[in-house]
Amino acid sequence: MLFLRRTLPLALAFILGITGIFVFYVPHSTSQLIETELALWDRIIWAFAMLLGIYSLLKLHLGRVRKQQAGWGYSFLVFFGFFLMFIFSVYNSGNGPFVPRSNAPEDPFNWMFQYVQVPADATMFSILAFFIASAAYRTFRARTPEAAILLVAAIIVMLGRVPIGAVISDFFPMASTWLMDVPNLAAKRGILLGVSLGAIATALRIIFGIERAYLGGGE
Amino acid sequence: MRYILLSLTILFFVVPTQAQQPTNVQAMDTPNDAGKSITVTWKRSNLPPSAIYKVAISESQSGPFLPIADIKPTENLMSKDAATFGHGAETSQTHFLKVSEYTDPNDAEKKIAIETDKTYYVQVTTQLPSGQTFPSDILPIQAFENLFNNTKTNNFILGTVFSIIILIAIYMARRREMYIRRIAGLEAIDEALGRATEMGKSVLFVHGLTGMGHVSTIASVNILSQIARRTAEFNTELKVANRDPVVMAVSQEVVKESYLNAGRPDAYNDDMVFLAATEQFSYAAALDGMMVREKPAANIMMGYFYAESLLLAETGASTGAIQIAGTDSYTQLPFFITTCDYTLMGEELYAASAYLAREPKLLGSLKGMDIGKAFLLFALLFGTLFATLGNQTLTHIFTAY
Amino acid sequence: MKDFLLNIDRRIIFVFVALGVIIPSLTAFKLPIKPTPYVQAIYNTVEEVAKNKGTILISFDYGPGSDAEIQPMALAILRQCFRKGVKVVGMCHWPDAVGLAERAFAEMAAEFSAKSGVDYTFLGYKTGAGTLVLGMGQDFQGAFSQDTQGNNTADLPITRNIRSLTDFDYVIALAAGNTPEQAWIPFGQERYKFKFGVGCTAVMAPDQYPYLQSGQMNGLIGGLAGAAEYETLVNKPGKATGGMGAQSTVHLIIILFIILGNAMYFLYGRQKGGAQ
Repeated sequence: MLFLRRTLPLALAFILGITGIFVFYVPHSTSQLIETELALWDRIIWAFAMLLGIYSLLKLHLGRVRKQQAGWGYSFLVFFGFFLMFIFSVYNSGNGPFVPRSNAPEDPFNWMFQYVQVPADATMFSILAFFIASAAYRTFRARTPEAAILLVAAIIVMLGRVPIGAVISDFFPMASTWLMDVPNLAAKRGILLGVSLGAIATALRIIFGIERAYLGGGE
Repeated sequence: MRYILLSLTILFFVVPTQAQQPTNVQAMDTPNDAGKSITVTWKRSNLPPSAIYKVAISESQSGPFLPIADIKPTENLMSKDAATFGHGAETSQTHFLKVSEYTDPNDAEKKIAIETDKTYYVQVTTQLPSGQTFPSDILPIQAFENLFNNTKTNNFILGTVFSIIILIAIYMARRREMYIRRIAGLEAIDEALGRATEMGKSVLFVHGLTGMGHVSTIASVNILSQIARRTAEFNTELKVANRDPVVMAVSQEVVKESYLNAGRPDAYNDDMVFLAATEQFSYAAALDGMMVREKPAANIMMGYFYAESLLLAETGASTGAIQIAGTDSYTQLPFFITTCDYTLMGEELYAASAYLAREPKLLGSLKGMDIGKAFLLFALLFGTLFATLGNQTLTHIFTAY
Repeated sequence: MKDFLLNIDRRIIFVFVALGVIIPSLTAFKLPIKPTPYVQAIYNTVEEVAKNKGTILISFDYGPGSDAEIQPMALAILRQCFRKGVKVVGMCHWPDAVGLAERAFAEMAAEFSAKSGVDYTFLGYKTGAGTLVLGMGQDFQGAFSQDTQGNNTADLPITRNIRSLTDFDYVIALAAGNTPEQAWIPFGQERYKFKFGVGCTAVMAPDQYPYLQSGQMNGLIGGLAGAAEYETLVNKPGKATGGMGAQSTVHLIIILFIILGNAMYFLYGRQKGGAQ
C-alpha cells in the first residue's frame, strides 16, 4: 500500500521530471517521440478526469437538492442545463453523435450556446467593470508619496488607453505606452525573475521527492 | 599571340565568372534538430541589388536540380540567426538557407520533405540582372538527427547551476537552522481558521484556473494540505472549489490524507472537494453564489487567477469574510491586494508550504532561491553596465534562443 | 455628509458606471482612433503574409465571457485575411471558443465568399494546451488529423503542406487566459521560432509586455481599445469602435471618482486616519 501511495508516485515524479528536462535539450526524434507520447497521455488522463469532474459536480448538486440546502433550486438548473445540452449535443441536428458536430446556427446546441451561454458569461465578465470602479475608488488614495505616484500613473494609463486620452492630448497615449513599456515592465520582470526561480526550486523539490505535500500529509 | 588571346579570354570570361560565382559554398546538416533539414551557406559578395542567388536541390548529382529559393544579396545573413550561427563578425558576411522541403516537380502545390540520412545535392547559382548565371560546385549533403540542442547550452548551464545551488542549500539546511522572514499572509491563515471555528462557519479554499502541470497549482495544493490538517484539528468545515478535474482528484487525496494524519478520517468526505465548474466565468459565478449564500468565514484563494480574481475577491469582501489570496499572476495581484486582507505575492506562494511546514529541507530551497536571485541581480547589474558601454557578451550569455 | 463622500456606497458608483456605458452606447458618440505600434505590427505582418498568399493560424482561446472584447479582433483579422487572400486555419484551446470561432468564420466567409478547405478551415478544440502545441510543432497533421467537418487535414488543399507550426507564416493567439505565455510561447514559439502575435483582454495585456520586448511576440492587440484600432486599420468600424465612447466615458467616471475620493481624503479623511 505504501508502495502505491508513496514510492511509486515519487518514482514516477522523478522519472517523468527528469525525462521532461531531457527532452527539452535533446532534439533527437526518439526524444520527440517520448514528448509526443507523454503529451498524448496527459490529454487522455485529462479527458478521463473530466468524467470524474462531471460525477463530482452532479453528486454535489444532488446532495444539495436532497438536503434542501440554501439555494438548492439553483442546483436543479445545473441538472436541467447539463442534460439539455447533453441531449442537444447527441441529437446534433438529427445526425446523431457519430458524425462531426453540426455548425448550423439553428442547431439547438449552437442556439443554446449563442443565446444562453454567451450572454450569461458576458454578463459575469461585465460585472468586472463595476467592481473595478468601486475597488479603484476605495483603494486609490494618495496616503504616501509612493501611492501618489501610482495614482498619477494609473490616471495617465487609463486616459492613454482610450481614444478620449488622445483627444485631450497626445501626451496621454505616449506617456501611457512609456509607462507600460518601461516602469511597468521593469517591475514585472522583477516579479517574473523571482517567480521563475521559485518555479525551479518547487520543480526540484518535487522531482527529488523533497516536497511531498501534494501526495497528501507530507510525511 | 595564342597565349595573349588565351590570357584575354581568361581575363574577360573566367575572372568575372570566378568573381560572380558564389564562394565558400558549404552544405551541412541543420544543427540542433531531429534531422529532416539541411543548411546551405555561402560567402556574401558585392552584387547589384537586383541580382539573386538561386538555390537548387537534387536527389542525384547529375540533376535535375529543383529550385528551393531565390535569395537577394542582402537577405538571409547568418547574423539574423544568432541562435544557430552565433555572434561572430563573419556572420554578417555569410548567407545561409535552411531547407526542410522543396516543391514537387510534378505538382507545384505539393511539397516534398527532406528525409533524414538520405543524400541530396545542392547548388547555389548567382544570377545577375543581365540574366547571366554563375553556378557553384555541386555539394552532397545528408540530414541527420542531433543529440543536443546547442542553442540551449546557456539555458542548460544556468539551469544546472541554479539547481545545484538549490540542492546544496537544501543539503546545508539539514545541518543548521534557517531564518525565514515573517510572511503576514501565512501567519493570518491560523487567525482566519480560528475565526471560522469560533463562528462555526466554513472555510472556502478556491483553486486558481490552471491545471496540475503548473507550479502555482502544485504550490496551492501544498498549502491546501497544511490548511486541511489545521481544519481537521480545529474541527472546522472546509470546502475546496476546483475548476480542473485533475486538480480536484489530487486535492481530494491531499485533503483525505491530511485528515487522516490529523487523526480525523471520519470528518472527511469526498464532497468537501468539488468541481464548481470548468469554465472561467461559470466558476466565478458558482463561487460568488456560494460566498453570498453560505457566507464562509474565510476565503482562501491560491493559484493562478485571471479576470475572475476581482469577481471572487470583491464578492468575498462584501460578505465580510477574512480573505487571503496568493498568486504568481502579477496582473491580478493589484486586484487581490485591494480586496483581500492578506496577499501572497509571486514566489511567496511557492514559499508557503515550506513556511507552514517548517520543514528544514523545504526551507533550504528558499535559501537556494535567494542565492540564485542574488546571482541574477549581479548579472543584471553588470549586464546593464557592459551593454551601456557597448559590450554585449553578458547579454548574449543570457539570451534565450 | 463627510462620511458619505469619503465612503460612497458602491451601488452609487455602479449606477454611474452603468449610465456611463448605456448613454454613449445609445448615442452616436464617436472618437478618433489612432492605432498603436503593437497593433500596427500585427496588421503589417498579415499584410506581409498576404504578399505571398501565405497561411496563418488563429487560435481562438477565449470564451463567451470575453466575446465582447476579443470577437471584434477575430472578425477584423479574418476580414483582412479574406480580403487579401491570406489562408486561415483556426483552432481552439478552449472548448467554449468553438461556437465563437465558427460564428466568426461563417460571418466573414459569407461576406468574402471564402471556401472552407481552400481559403480557411476550422480544426475545433483539443485538450492539452501546451502539450497540444508541442504535438502540432512535431506533427501538425497528427495533432489535428481532421477538421470539424471530418475532412482529413492531409488532403485539404489548405493544410496538406502544413507539417509543423513552422509552416505557418504567422500564428495569432486570441486569448482570454494563459495560453500565450503558458502554451504558445514555451511549447511553440520558443521551440519552432514562428512569428507570433497575440490579441487578448485588456486585463491580460500587461502580462504580455515582457514577451513583446524579448521578441517572442511581435505584436499585441489589447482589449476593446486594441480591437477598435484593428478595425480602424482594416477600415471597417465595428462593435469595438462603437464601444470606445462607452469605454472612454467609464474611464473618465472612474478617474473622477478617484479624484473625488482623494479630495475628500485630503479635506477630511486624514484627520480621521483615512478611509479604509
